[in-house]
Amino acid sequence: MSASQIPNLNTLRRGGARLRGHGRGGGELGSDAPSRRGGSSTKDRVVQGTDNDASVSRLSAVNLGYLDDPFAPALTPPGQETRRLPIINRGTYVRTTTIDHLLTQFLHPSTTPNQPVTTPTTPTKATIPTLPQPKPKQIISLGAGSDTRIFRLLAQTQTQTQTQTQPHPEQTIIYHELDFPSNTASKIRAIRAAPHLQRALGDPQTVTISPAADALHTPHYHLHPIDLRQLAALASSPPLRKGDLGNEGADLQLDTLLPGLDPTLPTVLISECCLIYLEPEEARRVVEFFVGVFDASAGGGKAGAGAGAGAGAGAGAGSGAGADGPPLTPPLGIILYEPIRPDDAFGRTMVANLATRGIQLQTLHQYASLAAQRARLRAHGFVDGQAAADVDFLWERWVAEGEKERVAGLEMLDEMEEWRLLARHYCVAWGWREGGGRQQHVFEGWRGLEGQQDED
Amino acid sequence: MSDLDRAIAQLRACRLIPESQVRELCYKARELLIEEGNVVCVDAPVTICGDIHGQFHDLMELFRVGGDVPDTNYLFMGDFVDRGFYSLESFLLLLCLKVRYPDRITLIRGNHESRQITTVYGFYDECIRKYGSANVWRYCCEVFDYLALGALVLGASSGLEPTGPALETTSSTMSLDDSELETEVLNSRGEVTMSSYRPKQPRTDSPLLPSLSQDKSATSSTTQTPASSSMPPLRSGWAGTGATGDSSGSYATGTGAVLCVHGGLSPLIDSVDKIRLIDRKQEVPHEGAMCDLLWSDPDEIDGWGLSPRGAGFLFGGDIVKHFNYKNDLSLIARAHQLVMEGYKEMFDGGIVTVWSAPNYCYRCGNVASILELGEDASNGGTVARSNGDYGRSTGGAAGAAAVTRSPGRRYRVFEAAAQDTRGMPAKKPVADYFL
Repeated sequence: MSASQIPNLNTLRRGGARLRGHGRGGGELGSDAPSRRGGSSTKDRVVQGTDNDASVSRLSAVNLGYLDDPFAPALTPPGQETRRLPIINRGTYVRTTTIDHLLTQFLHPSTTPNQPVTTPTTPTKATIPTLPQPKPKQIISLGAGSDTRIFRLLAQTQTQTQTQTQPHPEQTIIYHELDFPSNTASKIRAIRAAPHLQRALGDPQTVTISPAADALHTPHYHLHPIDLRQLAALASSPPLRKGDLGNEGADLQLDTLLPGLDPTLPTVLISECCLIYLEPEEARRVVEFFVGVFDASAGGGKAGAGAGAGAGAGAGAGSGAGADGPPLTPPLGIILYEPIRPDDAFGRTMVANLATRGIQLQTLHQYASLAAQRARLRAHGFVDGQAAADVDFLWERWVAEGEKERVAGLEMLDEMEEWRLLARHYCVAWGWREGGGRQQHVFEGWRGLEGQQDED
Repeated sequence: MSDLDRAIAQLRACRLIPESQVRELCYKARELLIEEGNVVCVDAPVTICGDIHGQFHDLMELFRVGGDVPDTNYLFMGDFVDRGFYSLESFLLLLCLKVRYPDRITLIRGNHESRQITTVYGFYDECIRKYGSANVWRYCCEVFDYLALGALVLGASSGLEPTGPALETTSSTMSLDDSELETEVLNSRGEVTMSSYRPKQPRTDSPLLPSLSQDKSATSSTTQTPASSSMPPLRSGWAGTGATGDSSGSYATGTGAVLCVHGGLSPLIDSVDKIRLIDRKQEVPHEGAMCDLLWSDPDEIDGWGLSPRGAGFLFGGDIVKHFNYKNDLSLIARAHQLVMEGYKEMFDGGIVTVWSAPNYCYRCGNVASILELGEDASNGGTVARSNGDYGRSTGGAAGAAAVTRSPGRRYRVFEAAAQDTRGMPAKKPVADYFL
């Protein structure tokens, strides 16, 4: 066969059915009327399926010793266990430990502030200690899926309780997970099937599960079956604003929507590859909803506080600081983990590849750089600090040398350029506002963490 | 049509051959490879290729762009397997071609041609999946152990015959009359996208001998000054062969040899001869010279550095310059590192990375390239045996380095074959992301 006989496959490209046409499919999303039960369009199912991907990756990293997480097997769909490539395992490691570290600094700011991720001698234990203060802190995980973090947290606090060194977890942490009902239901099935997950939840008497078996509540863990787009709709529809309903009405409303959520506690929002699947406007409104919930000036029913949940950016911190009586606007922080830099060769390929799987990263272009992520957080009212760093930077700068050596020794990376390429296309962004109680310095621990400056 | 030709046809269609045939093929390949030295000598013209990584359809694209075997003489610098979804089809096809046309295709070993690495990066799993047992993987690994560690390209021309319609010509302002086409980059349609020229006069930019002045013309006598004056005989045979002979006829216009190796240099290897001393017929060790040749990377450092890969070393421009000078090399061609543009020259053109897996892992969005080295026709087509190490032991003859010219280099850049067209497997490869 001579070279001229070999067909040039690239000339056939044009004719091929490219996936362009599938486009956004915005209509499918039912953007005008999101249902509480999460309209299970094909696209939604695809997004729900991304959680599978994450849990399989997590289990792979755990099995190979990157992470220590005894709950990973029980929360990974059976039969899907597979060994991921070393770069994926390393990425999973950086993603997990970075968010763990940010939470540690939030929950327990006195622990080794400004230090890089600590160097355990054994596989990395998610070092999220309980805090000595009696006042609970709250974490809200958006699109949490099969995330194991709450179990790691609870197990750790239980161990500490047994050794009588820490107060009981109920006093320290309230953890909310929000996801599609199909995802929360399968998580509850997993919990029911795994005794060690149940033990982590504590006293069985305090655990309630909804009749539909898609909501779960304990004193410190709430699993909410909810389509985030519903919250987005609330943030933008005036009749449901808390400010307009008054305090009692708002609490009622909030309690129906997200039972157990305490709008007075210092809180961190987490979106691990979640908001990016929403339309940009919806993603913005979801954050706006929570910023509004934790805005005392709106929730407190101040007369004419037009800056309700909907008005968003900046209103919370600004007005809260000026209030001289309770309630104070509580400290609020946010942690985002998502892809960035869609416009280079790798980014374009990523967008195209995910599109063939029906996955669209809808806010990717809007928040395409670290600078754009920081600006996003600022615009949302996280005025006391915004920072961001890509995974490559986090690996280089946040992981201590000894730990780096341990992790690098687990599997040989065959291609450093590929790792850097991949790692530069994911970032963690974090921002906070201290709220009305600025003297608390709840986010003092975040202040010293190193963000990435030079870029783009 | 022989069985072998049938197997080639079948593999070209991306269909596997029976296990028994694989065993036979691997046996024949081993018999062939065992006769090769650690460093294979290859005559220009030759087309040098980097990592393939089981991207079968892109290998087909490579053949389309670079010409088919045996019309084109190929040298593949390893990493045939792992990562892509068609390691078996890719490697077995290359192996069939090697057995069928042993003088037209050279395969050297990459760091992925190893039992340990293939169990992590996919080839082992692929063998189990496609053949139902580890037998074929075992046969292939036995072949890996016999692959050469490097190659030496001889008789490459210092200039290029211009080809193809130029899209835009950059770089030199010199006219073609008093300059020589040194580098040309073509896209997959054969259009020139970049070219650079250099003066016909041999440059005297060697830092090792700034005193060699321009008035020395590019004739044989001037290039050998100190050595020829200090007979006994010049040793100018192939590096490390110990052969002697008068190379004066071709030396001036010829170039030094081009060393091809998958990864790079080793602190334990200061001459090509040292590579020849390695006992290569084994699994790639975790350290030592053989490991370094397959794992090291050039880097913008001085001297040697630790590799972040966990094997091999980083080596700087000074190391390359010294090694090339000492071994009368004009260029080191290597693969091993993803380069978004398909190729990357470093250290004043003393080393080049050639990467031949476009859109690596179906994810990276990079283009790929192959490197064509032309034949030096100035000497009637005979090979210029210019890479002897004569005079090195005397410490003299530094002048020779000054006129060792880099070969003319033609890079053909190509993109990934389309994934979803006719003849492609229905199942699209899925690349991993963090979701």
